[in-house]
Amino acid sequence: MNFFEKTVQLFTTADYLKLMFTGLGYTVVISICAAILGLVLGTLVALCSISKSKGIVMRVLQGICKVYITIIRGTPMALQLFIMVFAIFAIRGFPTIVTAILAFGINSGAYVAENIRAGILSVDIGQTEAGRALGLNSRVTLIKIVIPQAIKNVIPAIGNELIALIKETSIVSMISITDLTMAAKIIGAGNNLASYVVPMTSAAVFYLAIVYLLTFGIKIIEKRLRASDKR
Amino acid sequence: MISVKNIHKSFGELSVLRGVSCNIEAGEKVVILGPSGSGKSTFLRCLNLLEEPNQGEIWVEDKLITNADPYEHDEIIELSQTYADLYAKYVLENDGTAGDEVKKAVISRIKEQRLLKKREGSLFKKALSQYQAQHGIDINLARQDMGMVFQHFNLFNNMTVLKNLTLAPVQLGLKTPEEAEQNAMRLLQRIGLADKRDEYPSKLSGGQKQRVAIARALAMNPKVMLFDEPTSALDPEMVGEVLDLIRELADEGMTMVIVTHEMGFAREVGTRILFMDEGNIAEEGTPAEVFDNPKNPRTIQFFKAVL
Ligand SMILES: Nc1ncnc2c1ncn2[C@@H]1O[C@H](COP(=O)(O)OP(=O)(O)OP(=O)(O)O)[C@@H](O)[C@H]1O
Ligand SMILES: [Mg+2]
Repeated sequence: MNFFEKTVQLFTTADYLKLMFTGLGYTVVISICAAILGLVLGTLVALCSISKSKGIVMRVLQGICKVYITIIRGTPMALQLFIMVFAIFAIRGFPTIVTAILAFGINSGAYVAENIRAGILSVDIGQTEAGRALGLNSRVTLIKIVIPQAIKNVIPAIGNELIALIKETSIVSMISITDLTMAAKIIGAGNNLASYVVPMTSAAVFYLAIVYLLTFGIKIIEKRLRASDKR
Repeated sequence: MISVKNIHKSFGELSVLRGVSCNIEAGEKVVILGPSGSGKSTFLRCLNLLEEPNQGEIWVEDKLITNADPYEHDEIIELSQTYADLYAKYVLENDGTAGDEVKKAVISRIKEQRLLKKREGSLFKKALSQYQAQHGIDINLARQDMGMVFQHFNLFNNMTVLKNLTLAPVQLGLKTPEEAEQNAMRLLQRIGLADKRDEYPSKLSGGQKQRVAIARALAMNPKVMLFDEPTSALDPEMVGEVLDLIRELADEGMTMVIVTHEMGFAREVGTRILFMDEGNIAEEGTPAEVFDNPKNPRTIQFFKAVL
């Protein structure tokens, strides 16, 4: 059988197809849930770390955020995943997929936080001053003036982070979740097809398609947001 | 209208304002001149508390807006535990003195010896904000009456020209969206930019941006306008249109404080010149006095260089 015939076989055998799409499903679910968790967490952490409040609660929170970002960005994702699965959530019956979502969400939150923080700081201080000088309080100034401009600045970076996240989820195969990568591996290891090349290439095309869709979506959002500085 | 008492401001080691005092009356057009780095912008920004003075007081229409030293506030001192302790002690030791006398004596002792402890600091902050709330002192409220125009315009980049003008009045509940829009359109017509209502700031020329920025400040119906080098970032051919607008406002009686390097304009529009040097007001007087007959050697030197 040549490459072409094997590809046809992969996409016409019900069992293979089912496995591939189950894997795709896991990859998509983990990515989306982790992305949402990461965005929410990242935004909260970013807001915390730019706060100028000198209250004791805020200072403790800021300390925690700093440690969180340092640890997450300073250690490999695979290790974080293993520690979550085999230590922190090593509870009998705790679904591994939830652990995986938490691990990826927490990981991505640290990067998103740094992006958002940089985005907010990149907005000219004059914007804030102009808002405050009109009598707006700091919250309204942040929400109406600074954050909308920061979002525009950080969309590309956040997009990159999400793309990295999707691809990085492939390591969940190491904790035996049948994601897209794992599915391809299982199919390839079977006797019938006797080839890794075809399922792996197909999985790669799937990843490519997801990333392409996401990139396309981000481009559209960027274009919309850039309405204010077209010349 | 604005009364500044002995304000000091430093950034770290750098002492920028070293005890500046002045009164600005309604209708005055005060022009601040001085060499670069003399503290002109810092002074202006202190007036609406974009910079917080380290020391001294700023009163706007009989309301103290600076977060003054708690030691200076009798009302706040009275709220402290230290005060209560001293008061009790004083009464025990000076049997028969009248309440008011005790109070005065204790407060002056606290001020002299700075007896309030650091741990009472946060208590003071609370007391101070309570006091300010009770007396209707709110910096955000005070700022509504003070329009500010910046060197670099600082128009809100994410909003259209119209939205730049309506945001604050609507957000602050001063106007309904319809009223705010009407008022904004009236102002835009006045500055000749009504047709730009739906443009974003990035599409305007420098002069147009600054005129919109002035209109944005006017949309709040301020009692005083603060200008920080409003024409310094403009191409020469656009300086005129902005100065004309400021001149018009001046003629209508708006109270103004203007930092500028446009000497001709300063002389023509100003009713009083403050010459700042190294964080102090080195000389002040009418334009005629200061321009034609400067007394301070620093002022003389400055005019020699710029005129
Ligand atoms: N936020 C800040 N942090 C640290 N230093 C500052 C800050 N703002 C101003 N300074 C310093 O304070 C000094 C006075 O600045 P200021 O802007 O008040 O001068 P100026 O008289 O307005 O000068 P110019 O004519 O150049 O605008 C300068 O040396 C400046 O570097
Ligand atoms: Mg300046």
